[in-house]
Amino acid sequence: MPSPFLTPSSQAELDQLALLHLRRDDTIPAIVRLHDDENLGYKEGNVTNTRFGSFPHSTLLEQPWGSQIKASKVDTGSRGRSTRQPKKRKANELDSPADEDADSSKPTPKKAVAASSGFLHILCPTPELWTASLPHRTQVVYTPDYSYVLHRLGVRPGSTIIEAGSGSGSFTHASVRAVFNGYPTATATDPSPKPHRRRLGKVCSFEFHAQRAAKVHDEVNEHGLDGLVQVTHRDVYQDGFLLNDSTGTLSTSPKANAIFLDLPAPWLALKHLVRNPSSGAESPLDPSTSAHICTFSPCMEQVQRTISALRQHSWLHISMVEIQHRRIEVKREKTGLEYEGLRGANVVPRNVQDAIQKMRVVEERSVRFRESLPQDDAPQSDNENPTTTTIKPRPAELDLADIPTFTPSISNEHIPSYAQGRLVHRSESDLKTHTSYLVFAVLPRDWSEEDERRCAEKWPSQNVAESLVQQGKGKSKKQLKREAKEAEVGTETGHIKGDDL
Amino acid sequence: MHSSIRPNQFVVLRLPSETTRLVNIVPNTLINCGKFGSFPANQIIGRPFYVTYEILETPGDTQSTYLRIVPAPELHAESLIEEGEGDDDIEVNGEGLPMRTNRETIDDASTQTLTLEEIEALKRESTGAGRDIIAKILESHTAIDQKTAFSLAKYTLRKQKKYMKRFTVFPMDVSGLTNYMLEIRDSSAKSMELRDELMGLIGCWGNVHHGGDTSIQDVLSKPNGRYLVVDETGGLVLAAMAERMGLLYPDEELEDEENQTSEQQLPADELKTEEASEQPSQRTQRPAQMAASGNTITLIHANKQANISLLKYFGFDQNSPDESHPLYTHLKTLSWLQLLDPESDPIYAQEPPTIPESELRELKSNKRGAYHRKRNRWTRVQSVVNEVRAGGYDGLVIASLMDPDSVLQHAVPLLAGSAPVVVYSPTIEPLTEIADLYSTARKTAYINRKRDLEEAKQLVNQTTDGDSELLPELVAEFPNNPTLLLAPTLETLRVRPWQVLPGRTHPMMSGRGGAEGYIFHAIRVIPTTGFIQAAGNPSRKKRKVAPAQSTATPGSSTSVDVEMKS
Repeated sequence: MPSPFLTPSSQAELDQLALLHLRRDDTIPAIVRLHDDENLGYKEGNVTNTRFGSFPHSTLLEQPWGSQIKASKVDTGSRGRSTRQPKKRKANELDSPADEDADSSKPTPKKAVAASSGFLHILCPTPELWTASLPHRTQVVYTPDYSYVLHRLGVRPGSTIIEAGSGSGSFTHASVRAVFNGYPTATATDPSPKPHRRRLGKVCSFEFHAQRAAKVHDEVNEHGLDGLVQVTHRDVYQDGFLLNDSTGTLSTSPKANAIFLDLPAPWLALKHLVRNPSSGAESPLDPSTSAHICTFSPCMEQVQRTISALRQHSWLHISMVEIQHRRIEVKREKTGLEYEGLRGANVVPRNVQDAIQKMRVVEERSVRFRESLPQDDAPQSDNENPTTTTIKPRPAELDLADIPTFTPSISNEHIPSYAQGRLVHRSESDLKTHTSYLVFAVLPRDWSEEDERRCAEKWPSQNVAESLVQQGKGKSKKQLKREAKEAEVGTETGHIKGDDL
Repeated sequence: MHSSIRPNQFVVLRLPSETTRLVNIVPNTLINCGKFGSFPANQIIGRPFYVTYEILETPGDTQSTYLRIVPAPELHAESLIEEGEGDDDIEVNGEGLPMRTNRETIDDASTQTLTLEEIEALKRESTGAGRDIIAKILESHTAIDQKTAFSLAKYTLRKQKKYMKRFTVFPMDVSGLTNYMLEIRDSSAKSMELRDELMGLIGCWGNVHHGGDTSIQDVLSKPNGRYLVVDETGGLVLAAMAERMGLLYPDEELEDEENQTSEQQLPADELKTEEASEQPSQRTQRPAQMAASGNTITLIHANKQANISLLKYFGFDQNSPDESHPLYTHLKTLSWLQLLDPESDPIYAQEPPTIPESELRELKSNKRGAYHRKRNRWTRVQSVVNEVRAGGYDGLVIASLMDPDSVLQHAVPLLAGSAPVVVYSPTIEPLTEIADLYSTARKTAYINRKRDLEEAKQLVNQTTDGDSELLPELVAEFPNNPTLLLAPTLETLRVRPWQVLPGRTHPMMSGRGGAEGYIFHAIRVIPTTGFIQAAGNPSRKKRKVAPAQSTATPGSSTSVDVEMKS
């Protein structure tokens, strides 16, 4: 079964993972199933309920990826009453099987009726969306971190990567995408037919927590990644990184090119990640390439112990970095007196002219208002004539029509509301200021004197064609090849004496 | 996988001065590392990567040199010794005060007794890869015993950087090239100041990965893993995508160590793409350029020819592409003109006349060659342009100096549903503009305007995706249909390197400034035909939470209504 993560079909298929996107950072993973296995009593079959409405899976099935799906009218209210009965029956072992049979054999679930509001988007799973929606079991390695880790580790199609611990499986999904270059077929497992066959990428995931290991294993199978990800339940500090064979003994080397350690004490696992383990066991590293490692630790003390251990085990190019990631919010900031009553707007003058104009208007109004008042010397104390007070405002109101009202200096009239205001950006309100320290190192392949001798014979070292010294960039590839060939012919005669290593 | 240094390939050399050089390892040549010496290329061909080599003079022969692999314990020597001394790195006297401080240090250059001439003389005579020079310099420093452990280490390191005849060989990969481009100030603008950490993020958000081999395509009944790219970084982004898709490096597994010498004797087809090996009947036929159907990158460029000059470091020259390189069949290029108005492109529009086989045989060989070349070019352009115009792509990556809105306007409709869109920009302003173009407010306005126009024209329930022709007013107001992209997000990433010497752990004191670099990403979606009922229903305004949000596509960064969870 091709995995929807790696080689998706063009639409949501039955029994495969689909991600239901409600809004940003709110995505629900769902396996598309028509029949209601848990017997929740919906007439429409299997239904996913969200805060934006109910979605029977019959409305999701075979929809092209990315489709906007309208919510359906699903009777969630009366369901509670009707399920009460089956629940009682469930307790009664005798009746329940018959009842379930009756439910699942129901020929077709009721056709869904579109609701008047609410929708979601059905998205094809990617490691990024999965990371944002997966059920958390441990701290998750998020996209900014794993994107950099995989890039720095040089994980490419065909690589083999060791991951310990699997945790919630976010890194597992990202790394299987990075190494994927084809599904293993039945013929690929027997070694003989094609010696030149490309090596297929693989993820070897180790987890010491039995439940989590089992969960990751289930997810891998559910997502069609079996054969590409091998989950092993193991304490790697103790038992290292060799893979179990069918009998359960540690035997095969994963031949890893890259290692990612998300462990509390990575330095304890390093003794197994050497070229020639002292125990005499096979090395879990690929002998023909260099190995890249990354450890992921939140604390400086862990980093220091890890680096010290890496030095002792001859890892090179040790470096440590910290990832700082920010998401940025973009919005239109509306400032101006004309935005009065609008939510989120700053109702203050937009500029100095407006401020002055506004003050003039206010001043003018109050002058007019005072003028409109009767010219009595002491109106406050004069309570003898109540009729004057009721008449007073009237002339003032009439006058208001003549006095200048405030008009903003820049008119918004012809600008649609979505384009009004100034476009601004800022960091989102909650920042992850520290995830973990990333320690990187490289272990070059072993290079014995025997290797050196063979290589020196193949490439006689002291033969430097005088004409070719420091040339190169200006010439075409063909030319270079021809010259190289000619030079090689020349060297063959005298390569024995040229070798002095 | 980079297992060993290969002939006629570029590598990255890092010199003690922390500068890097890109060098083509041509057999039987001399490779020059400037003041750090030179060595014959043959001495590193076939040897491992990531190793530090030391240039040593052959005893008794000043003209010839040999290389020594510096073992890891020697490289780590100082750090390991300090760690061995114990946890306390600062020597402390009886009163708990540091024994040596920089209190007495004389800020004077006269503490070094060696003169410039003497050092120059030493350099000429030196045989021990510079180690003897450094020893001599340290010896001649009058105040060396006054230095604290830290300053002594720093002093030694500084001298090592200056005099050690060492170099380290790194494989040429996208990371190495990206960092190299940034290091050199003149070239950083050419790669749009793209930093390495953003390269990884672009690949992830773009969901760029190997699309599986051809057998998968039969199962899915569609070609898989087809990406669109607009790249004005000279091919750097393209190279990063190719690396992730397994297209950047010629298949090295096939030419393992034993085959190295007999490389040219291998049948050429063995090295070719998987398509060739999948179909044995076509083995004798050369694979046509840009002919791959799946796992492809399609580059849309603004000029007559795409600028992908950086691919030369990976053995792919656009002008004379190597047929054995995976990009030969898997990289397709076309211009914006060919995409949007193919009929005005002469190559696409003017089919060269076909000459019957019998006439062809009588032509001169160079004329026959020209005829085939023209025909092939026409078929190639036809098939690429038609494929792109048909759309259905699995991802779009943009790193362009052009206005991103105009690029998105034409490229987003070419994507399949759920395909990711990633836009890189060295500065944030172009990206805030496009984030605004796909804002919730604009989506709501678009949906309402569209409904109003449809009602006016009585087109309700007839519209499909191709409504652009039917509603010119809508297109005029919204050149970019805001409902096509879901969850537009803007982000930036920065890696902060630390110094991790024992007892001296702290963030690096200086780093590269310049462009910060930002990424916009979103997902192409297929809006439902017809409109969402709740849209623009003013009576519902009071119940803000659920219905108000459903008026527009949820998940936009710009709406105040949308809650953000991190």
